[in-house]
Amino acid sequence: MLLEARNLHVGYGDAPAVWDASLAVDAGEIVSVIGPNGAGKTTLINAIAGLLRYRQGNLWFDGVDMAHVRPHDYCAHGIALVPEGRRLFAKMSVEENLEIGCYLPAARAVRDQSLERVYGLFPILRDKRIQVAGELSGGQQQMVAIGRALMARPRIVLFDEPSLGLAPTIVDDMFEIIARVRDDGAAVLLVEQNVIKALGVADRAYVLEQGRIVATGLPDDLLKQPHIREAYLGV
Amino acid sequence: MPSATLLGQALISGVLAGGMYGLLALGLSLSWGLLRLVNLSHFALAFLAAYLTYELGTTYHVEPWWSAMLIVPAMFAIGVAQHWLFDKFKVNELASLLITFSFAVVLEVAIQLYWTADYRRFETHYSTLSIKAGPFYIPVLELVLCLVAGVLAWGTWLWLRRTYVGKALRASAEDADIAAAYGIDHKKLAYLLSGIGAGYAGVAGTFIALIATLAPAQIWAWLGVVFAVVIIGRLGNPLGALFAGMLIGASESLAMAVLSPAWAPVVSFSVLIAILLWDPDWL
Repeated sequence: MLLEARNLHVGYGDAPAVWDASLAVDAGEIVSVIGPNGAGKTTLINAIAGLLRYRQGNLWFDGVDMAHVRPHDYCAHGIALVPEGRRLFAKMSVEENLEIGCYLPAARAVRDQSLERVYGLFPILRDKRIQVAGELSGGQQQMVAIGRALMARPRIVLFDEPSLGLAPTIVDDMFEIIARVRDDGAAVLLVEQNVIKALGVADRAYVLEQGRIVATGLPDDLLKQPHIREAYLGV
Repeated sequence: MPSATLLGQALISGVLAGGMYGLLALGLSLSWGLLRLVNLSHFALAFLAAYLTYELGTTYHVEPWWSAMLIVPAMFAIGVAQHWLFDKFKVNELASLLITFSFAVVLEVAIQLYWTADYRRFETHYSTLSIKAGPFYIPVLELVLCLVAGVLAWGTWLWLRRTYVGKALRASAEDADIAAAYGIDHKKLAYLLSGIGAGYAGVAGTFIALIATLAPAQIWAWLGVVFAVVIIGRLGNPLGALFAGMLIGASESLAMAVLSPAWAPVVSFSVLIAILLWDPDWL
């Protein structure tokens, strides 16, 4: 397994937001975590990205125990986050945002190729490269956030609610891009409220409710479960 | 109404004097804008550097330029040490005001104990040198000060724009967690920036020793005006700090020429308020 979380407890303050979560992502896989608002999806993915410390349990990435890895060293192991709400450096230009993605020496050495790849994926960003990121539309900002992650040459990309706040046509584009990220060789872990889309793109999926993983399986099998159909599809 | 020559001279002197505001604002603006730490002791460090330049110059007859080679790195080290304290006690923006204020007071007392409260003047043979350009006189020291401030501001601006370290600092100032997720070790960069800010106080101190009359209480003399300069120049913008410094310097000097010297202190804050109200796009 490329990424493995076992019995992870994560939380702010006294109350953990994620209880005993176990999940795994293999190289080349797209794995989705679905669940309602407030289920702890962002908390879980932030812990895997190194933004939040987990309190109990284990997290391994490519065989490395991440317990003592400092937050700013997660990226060097090959983990890149596309955070919820994009969180671009709004006062910096598009290209500067992308360059932050290749800050580390290994990624910096292939900056030009990475930049070409990102501009190939999102041609509009090439035209906007000197524009301040905060002035872009939501969809374009999401492109920058994804591009920034790809600049790090990650082995896994963590997507946190990539469809949030985007127009439906742009949401389709985003999921296409997620599939292409995997085709280019990185694994994908995706947390999403858009259940249909998230299951549509995934190889496997987990269901997170009230901080616990309550179901796991192939997307088609999950879609057949009465609870999932009722809670997420309203049928 | 004063003559055109007088006004022109006032403008030149003002812009040149504003170079000192800009130079002092530079370090303050960097740590405030990029580290969210307001370092009131910046002024005390500049005066410590000035007194050291004075001491080395008068007692040991060391040229100020050589003293600076020693003093600026020493100030850099003090800046790094200061940041170690901020880091250790997890100091935030508001607490930094209080802590650096006390640090400045301690430095003021230390300076007073060693050099007494008497006025000190470091006389050099070039302190009164000036170039005559048409009807105007340009004081050489202030001109050199402005050139140095210009080089530092421009260099710092380029450093922040063009280098990975500079971009990383700006990214961290906006969102430290996400910057860290891309491998940026903000703590390490913050030490560097604190050192640079204090180093700039050292550079300012060299010129203070040459241009101004030293007294411990003078530490606080420029506080208000330099704060206005930092804000007008926009936090964390080195070129902005320099231009704002020259703008304020020129305004003060013109106000003194046209109205009366008593008006000078009013000017910087009037300009500040006017610019904050106007809020032009180009700022």
